[in-house]
Amino acid sequence: MRRYLAVALSATVLTAVTACGGSPSEEPDTGTSGPRPVTVGVIPIVDVAPIYLGKEQGFFSSRGIDLELVTAQGGAAIVPGVLSGDFQFGFSNITSLMIAQTKNVPVRIVANGAASTGVPGKDFGGVAVAEGSPITGAAGLAGRKVAVNTLKNIGDTTVRESVRKAGGDPSTIEFVEIGFPDMPAALESGQVDAAWVVEPQLSAVKAAGGTVIASNFTDTAPDLTIAAYFAGTKLIAEDPELVKSFTEAINESLAYADAHPDEVRAVLSSYTKISEEVRAALILPKWPTDVNRTSLETLATLGTTDGIFGGTAPDLGKLLP
Amino acid sequence: MRPGRLVLGLAGLAGFVLLLEVIPRAGLVPSRYLPPAADIAVALAGELADAGFWAALRDTLSGWVIGLLIAAGAGVVLGLLIGAVPVLRALTASTVEFLRPIPSVALIPLVVVLYGASLQSKLVLVVYAAFWQMLVQVLHGVRDVDPVADETARAYGLGRAARITHVLWPTALPYVMTGLRLAAAVALILCVTGELVIGAPGLGARIAVAQTSGAVPDLYALIVVTGLLGVAINVGARAIERYALRWHQSVRGETVG
Repeated sequence: MRRYLAVALSATVLTAVTACGGSPSEEPDTGTSGPRPVTVGVIPIVDVAPIYLGKEQGFFSSRGIDLELVTAQGGAAIVPGVLSGDFQFGFSNITSLMIAQTKNVPVRIVANGAASTGVPGKDFGGVAVAEGSPITGAAGLAGRKVAVNTLKNIGDTTVRESVRKAGGDPSTIEFVEIGFPDMPAALESGQVDAAWVVEPQLSAVKAAGGTVIASNFTDTAPDLTIAAYFAGTKLIAEDPELVKSFTEAINESLAYADAHPDEVRAVLSSYTKISEEVRAALILPKWPTDVNRTSLETLATLGTTDGIFGGTAPDLGKLLP
Repeated sequence: MRPGRLVLGLAGLAGFVLLLEVIPRAGLVPSRYLPPAADIAVALAGELADAGFWAALRDTLSGWVIGLLIAAGAGVVLGLLIGAVPVLRALTASTVEFLRPIPSVALIPLVVVLYGASLQSKLVLVVYAAFWQMLVQVLHGVRDVDPVADETARAYGLGRAARITHVLWPTALPYVMTGLRLAAAVALILCVTGELVIGAPGLGARIAVAQTSGAVPDLYALIVVTGLLGVAINVGARAIERYALRWHQSVRGETVG
């Protein structure tokens, strides 16, 4: 009894304490007059440059959307943000969305996000080794320690496929979880034998004498879709007009970004701290307006084989627009 | 005494900056990962000229102030209440000891689900961490009340309110001030950590952006800013402590009676 009371008391205290700080999250304005505030959760990386550019170009305001971009540190904070209504839309990598779908999280893709360039050796992400490494190709990764930013996600799935295609045994790779920003140092100090890096760290690794030995995205599928914008199914059902406007605005932004790489490099300075030299030199992703369904089927099959979906295969019909 | 300490403090700082300049230049650590002090200073100047930096500083400070006020308020009120009522104290002791050591950062997955990357998330972490610092100090303070003084006050017919004002509060105040000083520092750490890990707006989120962008000098410049903020908060808290306890022998430096 005493224990119950004590727990109840502490719980009350904590609730009271935490409730004080919270202002109610803003309800989306359903009125038709004036621009509609829309918050999108993004990650401060190169992939989301089109939405920043599209905002600058007025592609959202012309559709009555007053766009606010909130940077979250990684996709893990974005899906909950979309579900709780803090964000109307979010940006996430495809594998994370598939994992969410297999867990019956009610989200659905509303627009394409970013795609591989499809050019081996010239993609915005790849598997790199440090200067002087004896590993010269994907097959050499078998039995080695390879860094990925998140275990059981798009990184290890696609790296395994690179090794498989090169005739190596992917089951012997030891994957280590290291954040992208720490990968150049981890490679240089020999903590790992290879690392799956994306821009701008890919440029940093190359500048330090490293070499790209495999293009895991292009090895997995031609023009692999890497990431997408998504919304909660509740919003999609309740406000199809808003979703439609947002999708149109994003598509216009993606097309514009693809056609104006110099403006993309310039807009990066507005939300990242990537240096001017790196901005000028880094490899940009592709921004097609269509999600490459075939590539996602490949990704889903590979992920299922790797067991990252917990025994069930993702239902792409429920995830794709 | 004081000018001497100041000189020594500044000399120590200068030595540290010199070391930071020499180590990367001598190649002991690659300057790609630890830039020399001069590069950090240049990056710092760049930050100070950027409106985004000041917005981030404001976000961090507001999260810190709001969180600290909630934690301090709740800590003092509940500390006095629990401390003064033996039943409540016995009832909560084990729970407090159970909850207190839980690191605030362990709550991050929970608050992300509840509030996403927002001020609320940051506040939960700040309040949780700072609250226990306050509560425990206040409980110690209440326990420290001299029974003779309390009995004397009762004998003179002082009521409950008068005894709280004249006996309990003066005894507890030094502890409250210590708790506030500890809570202020912890609150800043959790504020920045929350921003860094969750991405809630503030200096921490800016550090994370500099990190993902590979902007190493900016990264260190922002870390220097958070360090200076910590120093400023500590100095401020000590000043408040000295003012609030100006009557107390620990501050007056003389024995009374």
